[in-house]
Amino acid sequence: MASVSIETARTETANKRSKPNRLAPNYWPFVVPALIVIGAVIVFPWVFTLWMSVNSWTLGQEQTFAGLDNYIRLATDFRFWESLWHTLIFTVLAVVAPLFLGTLAALIFDAQFPLRGFLRGVFVMPMMATPVAIALVWTMMFHPQLGVLNYLLSLVGIGPQEWIYNRYSVIPSLVLVETWQWTPLIMLIVLGGLASLPREPYESAEIDGANAWQKFRYLTLPMIAPFLMIGVIIRAIDAIKSFDIIYAMTQGGPGTASETINIYLYNTAFSYYDIGYGSAMAVVFFVIIVALSLVLMMVRARTNWSDMETR
Amino acid sequence: MATVTLQNIQKRFGAVNVIENLSVDIADGEFVVLVGPSGCGKSTLLRMVAGLEEVSGGEIRIGAREVSNLPARDRDIAMVFQNYALYPHMTVEDNMGFALKLKRANPADTAERVKKAAAILGLENLLERYPRQLSGGQRQRVAMGRAIVRNPQVFLFDEPLSNLDAKLRVVMRGEIKAMHQRIGTTTIYVTHDQIEAMTMADKIVVLHDGNIEQVGAPLELYDRPANLFVAGFIGSPAMNFLNGKIEEGVFRTEKGLILPLPAEVSPAKAGGRPLVYGIRPEHIRASDQGIQGRATIVEGTGSEIFAKLDCGGEQLSCLFRERIDVRFGDTVGISIDAKQVHLFDKTTGHRL
Repeated sequence: MASVSIETARTETANKRSKPNRLAPNYWPFVVPALIVIGAVIVFPWVFTLWMSVNSWTLGQEQTFAGLDNYIRLATDFRFWESLWHTLIFTVLAVVAPLFLGTLAALIFDAQFPLRGFLRGVFVMPMMATPVAIALVWTMMFHPQLGVLNYLLSLVGIGPQEWIYNRYSVIPSLVLVETWQWTPLIMLIVLGGLASLPREPYESAEIDGANAWQKFRYLTLPMIAPFLMIGVIIRAIDAIKSFDIIYAMTQGGPGTASETINIYLYNTAFSYYDIGYGSAMAVVFFVIIVALSLVLMMVRARTNWSDMETR
Repeated sequence: MATVTLQNIQKRFGAVNVIENLSVDIADGEFVVLVGPSGCGKSTLLRMVAGLEEVSGGEIRIGAREVSNLPARDRDIAMVFQNYALYPHMTVEDNMGFALKLKRANPADTAERVKKAAAILGLENLLERYPRQLSGGQRQRVAMGRAIVRNPQVFLFDEPLSNLDAKLRVVMRGEIKAMHQRIGTTTIYVTHDQIEAMTMADKIVVLHDGNIEQVGAPLELYDRPANLFVAGFIGSPAMNFLNGKIEEGVFRTEKGLILPLPAEVSPAKAGGRPLVYGIRPEHIRASDQGIQGRATIVEGTGSEIFAKLDCGGEQLSCLFRERIDVRFGDTVGISIDAKQVHLFDKTTGHRL
């Protein structure tokens, strides 16, 4: 009997430990401050944005409930679809170019050569600069008459370009700035990945008959794929939200040639004061970012091969 | 299949000579084990045969071809590494077929060869799995399968069982030996485990500090070790070594213990100079009439009893196959089988 009662007591104690009463009053003093902060900076702005998006509200005018009118208006707004297209092109290019160049740079910096550490330090410096400063410097460099880029092109016999002042070259030019700033980030991520790769499969491959290209194609590339995907996710989310450099350099121009969703919704909400419509745009934009993130994370899960990540 | 000839092989890392003028001939289809303690240069030698390490001097021949300066991919060898070195992002099937894929072999032919190798190694049900989903033994089998699929002239094994637990090691030892008997490919196998060497090899090469100490069949090395190093390295528990001299037809240790001599030793020839008396623990028997010693360590495994005896200040390891009742501190009588005694010159370390 004694042993039974001891067992029962132990089980009860174990139950108490494994199922703590999370709503016990003594927990609240610890939880409430965090809840207040989350509610104030995350929940409330989102609920308020959702609420504004179903209202017709232009600053200085009366606010009226509009149901899904703002969303229906979005579906037929040519400028919105155009900005979506610009966002898409800008994002794809601003991901692919740094990814390609960053991987190439990582492969170069992975090799041993004199001054490697110093050069790597120089290479990552663009990442440290502030976007507005970068925008100012590049705006000067892009200047058709005074800019250094056209001067450099003239040295190799290429005529002057209009860069950000031409509707066809403005997005590639902005991508050039993004690439310059964010290639080092991809380089650092991939370099970390390369450093963590096991050495033995390469010896196996050498014995199996692989040449340098085959080793890269069949070993290095698939093995660094999870790291590349981290780079893609970070870059994609960053590029799709890109605002500061575009706003500081072109404000969406010439005309609306570089107007991304972010710029359009900023203009709608804070230049035209159409808060309700701008909010609807913000909600749609949020859904797009979440969908993109989910897709990228699914792709990343498929590229996983290491033991560590499957635990 | 092919012969492998290593002639005057040298390896230097900077100013350090790791291997000096080493020569070995390996016959076609032979299973040769390179054995030695850590740092003796055995893995370096194997990697030089594989082409993963440059040769500082000498010549390596596989069959009639001089391969010393050929890259690994042109040597027609397959290698199984200690940590398997599987391609972590490829399935078992892709791992095994990778070498053929690189050669642009017909995919149907590759699949057929992979299937055949998988059948030999019992991997048929694991072909779609990734290395991370396999146990250590299964990974090792995949590594072997990858080697078999290539049908190379020479198999190289670099301590392939070191990462496995003791039980699995015994199983895999048998599988590797069985595979060799079935396929008959010339094999060079590196290990620091002398039990592996004894049980698997046709021929053992004992290495020490980059030099060959002895080459021979396993039992030859056990029965007639050429020097003190081989005598101490081959056999477990290790051979007892006692310093002393031959005096008046018997061996007298430095601490005065008198031990029997084998009949073939001529006291006139060997007498007077300092010698080392070697006797394996398993060649010492319990005997009421013999030398008396006090047990300082007693370990029973069921099948045998290992005891360390203090015989007049000399320490003797004994392995009794018969059940005797001995405990720590007991006095035990022992007799030495004189036919199993090994005598070595203390100065040179060579067998008399």
